[in-house]
Amino acid sequence: MRKVGVVGIGHTKFGNLSDYELVDIMAYASLNAMEDAGIDGGIDQVMVGNMGAGMLNHQTGIESALVSTLNLEPAMAELVSNGPASGSSAFKMGYMAIVSGMADVVLVTAGEQMRRITGWEATDFVATLSHPEVEYPYGLTLPAFAAMFTRAYMAKYGLTERQLSLISVKDHLNAEKNPFAHVQLPVTMEGIADSSHASVVNSYVSEPLRLYHMCPVSDGAASVVMCAMDGAARFKKKPVRIAGIGSATDTHCVHNRKDPLDLKAVRLAAETAYKMAGIGPKDISFAELHDAFVILELCLAEEVGFFKKGKAIEAIEKGETEVSGRLPINPSGGLKAKGHPVGATGISQIYELVKQLRGEAEKGRQVKNPKYGLAVNFGGFGNNVVATILAKE
Amino acid sequence: MYKIDKNVYAYRCPKCGQLHYPAPMRCKKCGYRRYPEQEIEPNFQKEGYKPWEKTPLKGSCKLLTYTRLWNLPIGFDQRYLDFGLVEFENGIRASGRLLVDKPKIGMKLNVRVEKIKEFYGKVCYGLQFVKP
Amino acid sequence: MNIAYELEMKLRPPQKEMLPYPPKFITLASGEKMVIRQVKREEIPLLLEVIEPLIKIEKDFYDIVAARFYAELLGFFRYRVRDEYCLVGTIDGVVTSICNGRLVNDDLGMSYHTMTIKRGLRCGAQMFAAKMEYHIEILNQKEVFIVAESPIGFRRWMIEYQLVPRFHVQHELGGVPTYILTRDLYFAAKERLVTGTRPVPKGLLETSDTLILPEEYPQIPGWRR
Repeated sequence: MRKVGVVGIGHTKFGNLSDYELVDIMAYASLNAMEDAGIDGGIDQVMVGNMGAGMLNHQTGIESALVSTLNLEPAMAELVSNGPASGSSAFKMGYMAIVSGMADVVLVTAGEQMRRITGWEATDFVATLSHPEVEYPYGLTLPAFAAMFTRAYMAKYGLTERQLSLISVKDHLNAEKNPFAHVQLPVTMEGIADSSHASVVNSYVSEPLRLYHMCPVSDGAASVVMCAMDGAARFKKKPVRIAGIGSATDTHCVHNRKDPLDLKAVRLAAETAYKMAGIGPKDISFAELHDAFVILELCLAEEVGFFKKGKAIEAIEKGETEVSGRLPINPSGGLKAKGHPVGATGISQIYELVKQLRGEAEKGRQVKNPKYGLAVNFGGFGNNVVATILAKE
Repeated sequence: MYKIDKNVYAYRCPKCGQLHYPAPMRCKKCGYRRYPEQEIEPNFQKEGYKPWEKTPLKGSCKLLTYTRLWNLPIGFDQRYLDFGLVEFENGIRASGRLLVDKPKIGMKLNVRVEKIKEFYGKVCYGLQFVKP
Repeated sequence: MNIAYELEMKLRPPQKEMLPYPPKFITLASGEKMVIRQVKREEIPLLLEVIEPLIKIEKDFYDIVAARFYAELLGFFRYRVRDEYCLVGTIDGVVTSICNGRLVNDDLGMSYHTMTIKRGLRCGAQMFAAKMEYHIEILNQKEVFIVAESPIGFRRWMIEYQLVPRFHVQHELGGVPTYILTRDLYFAAKERLVTGTRPVPKGLLETSDTLILPEEYPQIPGWRR
């Protein structure tokens, strides 16, 4: 099988980019990635990751629009959609295009623009991922599913709201040093958990999850250039190898899972990626985990085999997941603080893995000598998950 | 014709008896197909096809987890809504509105079907979980 | 007496004695302490400077809010609005957010505007809550008339406090539909939405004595004073 590597990365600032056109934002990240790779053409295939342009921007065919604005015709172009995991799915499709021999150089760009509508409408947009008959009409949202999950987890393992806030504090600290992060504002335990004002300042969004336990609504894009490793020498930078990719699905309705706390698709996706890479959880130097809700950082870390179920919080309390810790998690700030333009998130995670593995991360958030990085991108409420492992060559 | 069916149904596979909610297009246990009630193609209900039995979701259930949601999506003007995930005695699980003062995981509840939303003049009925 | 002065005194509205808003502080998510206190008339020129850069920012309706806020404060400063007040939120003296309103009579308050410079810490929500606290708890009023001029305002005020619509009455800000905060609604929302500690420790209160202009505005990327 052909080996594939990433040779260029690009990113826009995450936040409110509502003054720009979605395709322009994506083009900006794409050109950054191409410049980073040292190319201005020669792309065989463009893969676009996006969840909601049809609904949010009233625009379809963004893959063709992107190719055209980048002047990359006649490159092949496809749109890949997998909810909030669209980015990683597009990455996977790009990888498959090279492995199959259909392409040698692929540009994968993912983006989303959610701030042109109100937060109220954005909540509804994301909720359309849920079942249209037995979940969505009730007013159930993704935060509500995450909250019900958290409640059950707390009942089983004794986790507290205060412990969840520890994850927020860590993520905000990392994001402060990440120039692309949406929220570059450190928060403190006093501010979000311990002061007598905290219950108002950090109010409930969906009990027991509070405002600072959730990601913001963001715009943004990220992009990577990948190529067959045997042709990587002609690019400006050394490639970062794609060691393993796995993905798996689970029931659409959350209630149909045998154990409501079992995130089976996460486990299966990670197992497949580990097997392909020929490594295990112990070999991973750092990870970008899909913490749209901080509970997910905890549970994803457990499902991918870093910690036993119910035990991840102990490692977080000991500081093991900080940038300087034994196993840094979300050195980018995670979705929690870096932001979550849904379709863009998967490629943003890959961007971070490459940056860290190259040793190019900003001062104060560079992981020490990383060898393998793992990204987990979580679609729906865990019904379509992609895990990716990149390796330093 | 204008009778409103306020029930919420689980569907039973006529071949193996497995209950499903919501209705799938094939049985998750034995793979038997379910055809829609209206014609979807000529002769769509093949000879010998056994229709799936509809069973209203009713009776008592157990609360597995719950939340009070303060940020509702557009279309809902309430300040908050309570939601629960329950398990019925027949093993079927469902999400729905929770209408109890002090919810507790494991508590026994009853189900009823009431209006949950009006959308462009169309009334949606759904599950509400209440104290027995 | 100077004739011009005499005429000026005829134009000035009578002013009611208002109980002052007792200062409080709120620990924000960042751990920073925001002091909320009443603005003195002589501080208004500085607040006009705070507002001015935002008057032409269309995004999130800052233009509407800033232009109107500017006019309201100017009217207050030059004695053309009756019984107006303004509250300011500061962190280390820097103005983070402001809000204002007016007393129609002893029982009825008229909420004007709430505006945040520093974003991401819910300062605006705390300022609006402080304003409602002033009307209902300090001034002991029965009702406050409120309008929203942006979607975010509608969600923060109308939905958050479950305000009651009373579209047939006219809010002073024009035609936007009027909603009402009653005492019952205020006290029902208080635990969830209103917080703060009094008295403010002396050293902390002193940081707010001299108001400082914000150096930059997240709403205007790249702009520096």
